[in-house]
Amino acid sequence: MKNYNFLDDDQLVDALLVEIAGMLSRLIADGEEGAIDLLGLPLSPSCVAELERRLGRGEISVGLDAIGLSEIRETGFPGVWWTQHADGSGRVIARLIEATTIPAILRADVEDVKRGQKLLLASTHVACKTSRSAS
Amino acid sequence: MTLLEFARGPAFQASVLILIAGVAWRLVAIILLRRRPQFAEPRHGLPARIGGGAATILSRFVPRRTFWPRIAVSVVLSATFHIGLAIIVFGGAPHILLIHQLTGLTWPSLPRGVISLVSGVTLACMIALLIRRLNHPVLRLLSTADDYLSWLLVFLPVLTGILLSGETIGGYATLLALHIISVELMMIWLPFGKLMHAGLVFAGRGLMGMNFSRKGAAT
Amino acid sequence: MQNADDKGNANDDETLGAMLSARGIGRRGLLKFAIAMASSLALPPGVAPLMAANLAKAKRRSVIWLSFQECTGCVETLLRSSSPTIDQVIFDFISLDYQEALMAAAGTAAEKTLHDAIAANKGEYLLAIDGSIPTKDSGVYSLTGGRSNLAMLKEIAADAKAILAIGTCAAFGGIPKAFPNPTGAVGVEDLVSGKPIVNIPGCPPVPEVLSGVLAYFISFGKLPDLDERKRPLAYFGATIHDQCYRRAFYDQGKFAHSFDDEGARQGWCLFELGCKGPTTHNACASLKWNNGTSFPIQSGHGCIGCSEPDFWDAGGFYTSLAGGSAAGWRNAGIAAAVGIAGGAATALAARNKSRPDPEDKP
Repeated sequence: MKNYNFLDDDQLVDALLVEIAGMLSRLIADGEEGAIDLLGLPLSPSCVAELERRLGRGEISVGLDAIGLSEIRETGFPGVWWTQHADGSGRVIARLIEATTIPAILRADVEDVKRGQKLLLASTHVACKTSRSAS
Repeated sequence: MTLLEFARGPAFQASVLILIAGVAWRLVAIILLRRRPQFAEPRHGLPARIGGGAATILSRFVPRRTFWPRIAVSVVLSATFHIGLAIIVFGGAPHILLIHQLTGLTWPSLPRGVISLVSGVTLACMIALLIRRLNHPVLRLLSTADDYLSWLLVFLPVLTGILLSGETIGGYATLLALHIISVELMMIWLPFGKLMHAGLVFAGRGLMGMNFSRKGAAT
Repeated sequence: MQNADDKGNANDDETLGAMLSARGIGRRGLLKFAIAMASSLALPPGVAPLMAANLAKAKRRSVIWLSFQECTGCVETLLRSSSPTIDQVIFDFISLDYQEALMAAAGTAAEKTLHDAIAANKGEYLLAIDGSIPTKDSGVYSLTGGRSNLAMLKEIAADAKAILAIGTCAAFGGIPKAFPNPTGAVGVEDLVSGKPIVNIPGCPPVPEVLSGVLAYFISFGKLPDLDERKRPLAYFGATIHDQCYRRAFYDQGKFAHSFDDEGARQGWCLFELGCKGPTTHNACASLKWNNGTSFPIQSGHGCIGCSEPDFWDAGGFYTSLAGGSAAGWRNAGIAAAVGIAGGAATALAARNKSRPDPEDKP
């Protein structure tokens, strides 16, 4: 990752916005989701801030608490999501821009649902045949 | 031991010592040679003769007007190359750093951009000088392996230095090792071939000037 | 629940997904972990769901950790975490079947644990080594339970699936190998052939590198791409110089000339103070140590090149890359004397040869 900054912040941000628009085209055409790993790009903090400002905030913002706090929010452009994951000590471990109708991490996973169902039934006072499990 | 460690370690020590011993050897071996005995009285005393020697060293830097049309190209190319090399070696920050480490002396360096520009000009001059040597009928006739080897051993440090400074191709460690080794090869060869003119030109002009002064001729 | 899987491993066949669920970490946490690992490993973000799915299904991987001629710094650096970090997920998951500093058992009980772990996981365990291996005098300079580390390595490596050489000592010989290397210390790769080896050098290594390699291995069943020194390219592909936040000062020629001078206080480049950043490959300039707290250059000290072979002998931490080892004034004086003497001798010989014969006519 060379530190050459031949482009200024505005030009870099424009380039990224064009790439995001391209991802949206593919999303519209055949539902193909895309993502950009911002930590993998040599962006200065001011460039990241400018990008965040240009994308703006949308209608939804979700807080996730799993091995540290994360924020997943839709930007001012529908289908474009800004995701930032931090670990237990608050250190940012991932920062993504995703082009998708809904980021996968927001969906409840089937395995989690199954586990939750068992726990739910176990927490009631009703003895239920369906609570018998393989484990 | 990696190539870089070798270049910065034993190779560096050895080449510096060979350079010192070799230069001392050649200078002493020449200065102590017999000279034809001169039976005439010297026209000037020793201090003046020494002054005459110094004057000749300086005066020979300026080409004689009568020859100028024929030698202009080689003088310009050669002077540019020599001055460029001096600017790079004594004005470039990493070189000053090396001298500082070895002797404690230091002075301000020139900006990277300046050194970059001068390096490019120096490289171009060297290539032009080689082309001239290969094409000029007399030079081609006179040139020996010594000439070409001496050219190569100065060209490689300049070239590798430019590549290292630009950091565009190759790994830094490899380029640094190659640059240092190319300089060490030059240092080892210097006392023994045409490169020794670096010391001999001053010794030669000086002694010649002293001789002229002794005879009362112009220096 | 069966207690043995089809490989006959004595331990549980609990998957990583189940283990995390039991701790209240659902698939979202695992996906977040996979996203972070993909980013760390420089993989495209689209690969994260696949990694998460593979991780969820992954069975505990037995890891045998042998500490040889080491200072325990590598183990310490991996453990020092005051708050839950993403790396802990992987470190908690791997079944660390044997590790002398951490395990409760000692003495013969510990040896039995080692023996059992090897037998139960033959051909499947990961062997993690920290510390170099002395080879002189049959390796008598580092023994565990009376057995030389040299013999232990040869024996235990034989049935390992892959070997992780943790830290510069295990990878390249490190500090024990520094001149004059009285114990004949070498790195793992000098003694083991025919097994996949990953070198994770650094003195100590960046913890995230190990967790990244483990996450990759557990997700994809193979080791990540390695460079010519067997280091994971994702973390060792670039030099410190290429990622250094002080690089702009280098490019502008703004150098600190001595520690605590004006330039140093301004945070200028430390090249003149011996920084080996340009010749050192590691991820510490971006990942840093202690949860991203700092790394030597940020603390005002030049890089010492700790993830490269023979860094201790590479000519001094405070000698810049532009400098070399000086021969010394005394040696220079001797060389000059030799030159002068030689020159005088040849001149004398030449003078005698050309002496005119007194019998010749003028």
